[in-house]
Amino acid sequence: MTQIQLEKLESEEYSSSKKGKIGSLLKFYLIPGWRNPEFYAKEEEIGRIKSKRRLFRRLLTPLTIAGFIMILFIVVMGVYSIWLTPYTIDELSLPYLPKGGIPFNPPSSEHPLGTTKYAYDILGRLIWGARTALTAAALPVIVGTAGGLVVGTISAYVGGKIDSIIMRIADFWFSFPSLILVIILAPMVGQDLYNLLLLFGLFSIPGAARWVRALVLQVKQNVYVRAAITGGAEKFKVMFKHVLPNAMSPILVGFFGAMGGAILGFASIAFLGLGDESFADWGTDIAYSRGKTTALYAVFWPGLLIAIAAIGFMLIGDGLRDALDPRLHI
Amino acid sequence: MPRQARNMLKYVIKRVLFMFPLLLAVLVFTWLLSHMMSVDPYLNKLGQVMDRETIERFLRQSGYYDPWYIKLGIYLRNFFAGDWGESYIILPNKKVIEIIMEITPRTIELMIFPIIIVPLIAIKLGVTSAKNKDKPRDTLIRGFAIVGAGFPVFYLATLVQLFVGITLRDFTYGGINLEVVYANSPLLRNPVPEGGVGTGFRIIDSILYNNQEYLFDTLTHLILPLICMTFVSLSAVTRMTRSTMLDVLDQDYIRTARAKGVKERDVINKHALRNAVLPTSHMIISGTAAALLGSLFVEITFNYTGFGYYMITAIWAGDYIVINGLLIFSTIIIISGTLIADVAYTIIDPRIIY
Repeated sequence: MTQIQLEKLESEEYSSSKKGKIGSLLKFYLIPGWRNPEFYAKEEEIGRIKSKRRLFRRLLTPLTIAGFIMILFIVVMGVYSIWLTPYTIDELSLPYLPKGGIPFNPPSSEHPLGTTKYAYDILGRLIWGARTALTAAALPVIVGTAGGLVVGTISAYVGGKIDSIIMRIADFWFSFPSLILVIILAPMVGQDLYNLLLLFGLFSIPGAARWVRALVLQVKQNVYVRAAITGGAEKFKVMFKHVLPNAMSPILVGFFGAMGGAILGFASIAFLGLGDESFADWGTDIAYSRGKTTALYAVFWPGLLIAIAAIGFMLIGDGLRDALDPRLHI
Repeated sequence: MPRQARNMLKYVIKRVLFMFPLLLAVLVFTWLLSHMMSVDPYLNKLGQVMDRETIERFLRQSGYYDPWYIKLGIYLRNFFAGDWGESYIILPNKKVIEIIMEITPRTIELMIFPIIIVPLIAIKLGVTSAKNKDKPRDTLIRGFAIVGAGFPVFYLATLVQLFVGITLRDFTYGGINLEVVYANSPLLRNPVPEGGVGTGFRIIDSILYNNQEYLFDTLTHLILPLICMTFVSLSAVTRMTRSTMLDVLDQDYIRTARAKGVKERDVINKHALRNAVLPTSHMIISGTAAALLGSLFVEITFNYTGFGYYMITAIWAGDYIVINGLLIFSTIIIISGTLIADVAYTIIDPRIIY
């Protein structure tokens, strides 16, 4: 090859377009095991030939499939709630009181599962409550995980005095029983749904930061991190490009587990009567019908759906952890 | 002293010394919290007085207009002197310390059975589940544990209460009549006679004073909350043991032990379990401390007047003095529990050097 062609080849190889950078960076983080095809061409070829059957077979054990089905059921109920019930969302929660309804009516032809405290239809509240439940699962966990990631990574990476100060602050927040603290602060913050969820998320940041810090310290001991530092990469680049993506799998597993816990925590707060009553929520249903011994259906169905949602998220988290564990030689 | 023990002693002393500033920070935080509560505490003391001057004089005397550092100083001095205030809404004019001394034995009675039984059963279940991974036995145990972890506690408690207390009673026409609504039948009195020595624990008191009716009554009222608490604790510890055991069973030293010819039972119990039980022990010990407080929902459902019951009724009523006292008490327990768990961590695993 001539000199000109060689130079052209070299320049082609190392030029990277600005276009796909953010997309590829996001994919690098969110999809465990995805690598940029530019830098891993040979491995890509092999991966395309080799089948992904093993990963799927480890993922799809019976319990994990059950978890997926449960979550799919709840998501479908939430997405298609307009077509699944004749009541709109305004008719099923507090500022609206249905006229001419009997509270705690047994199941009849008009209300397939009976009515609850202010003569709301239980089936309608179950279906619209799926939306509230998914919001209550997603919002605190996203806030908590993002905050924990930032604080934990910075603390683990900087090290030294700042690290111990941040850990002391996290210890301080950790020594409060978090559920009791949220219950105490809930009447002060107001009974708005988003305020409560934000409070939940903020209180889970110290725990998440501790956990991420332990994880990052574990990953930092690997040889490739030291190789990258020796190669001359700057501190933050090493943190974001080498350390963090390899710690992503446990964080993803913890994300799903935390979503299950967030649903249960929010239902507990609503059970005590401190939840938001202008949303059709499952926990508020249980609070409405707590002592009624003749209206078992008003207690049974919302609690069952809370359980299904929480169990589904936990099963998916367990299945992901079993499948993505790099040490199993199966 | 050998170097390792000296390091461990230094670590323990450092942790204990850190506890005091932490406690101080917790006190300041709860004091701040009590200032944000919105129920006016002076109306009860004043009664029907409508006169503006009297109200202002009373407030000035009680320290309402003092600057914040004086209020904080008085609060801290009272706290360390033993005066934690008096409740003003839920149990009027009863000292908070007396309330805590009365209700802690009841919560301990509720908690002692799960604390003893759960680690024994749950570790065995977790080990079995990890040994036969993806076999029917594992799926069964995992399903059982997930039911306990996924169903909300209050839901299980409410269902059990309604089923056993009402449906079963109506079904058998009063044959199986297990009362589930109170902590004791309201007609029975405390077995400690006037001027006698009592420990505060109802079971021990009724054994000491030979009051069988009270003992039987207490025990039957304790059964259902105990079942709920045990079930929830069992599932959490089983899941944790299973996951740590799975991590350990893939290590190379287990493979070496099997290749060496060690019996399978010894491989699991002697080599694998000792490494796997480490995070679980941390969770059990600090969970013991948290379990004293985690019985909130079970106690509210069964009307069992323990720690959680008073906490929640105080929050509903807005009685910030009781909330303060109970919150500080629970924080002290959690801090000491975490400290004991960390020290036990270093005792169990001698490789950890600080």
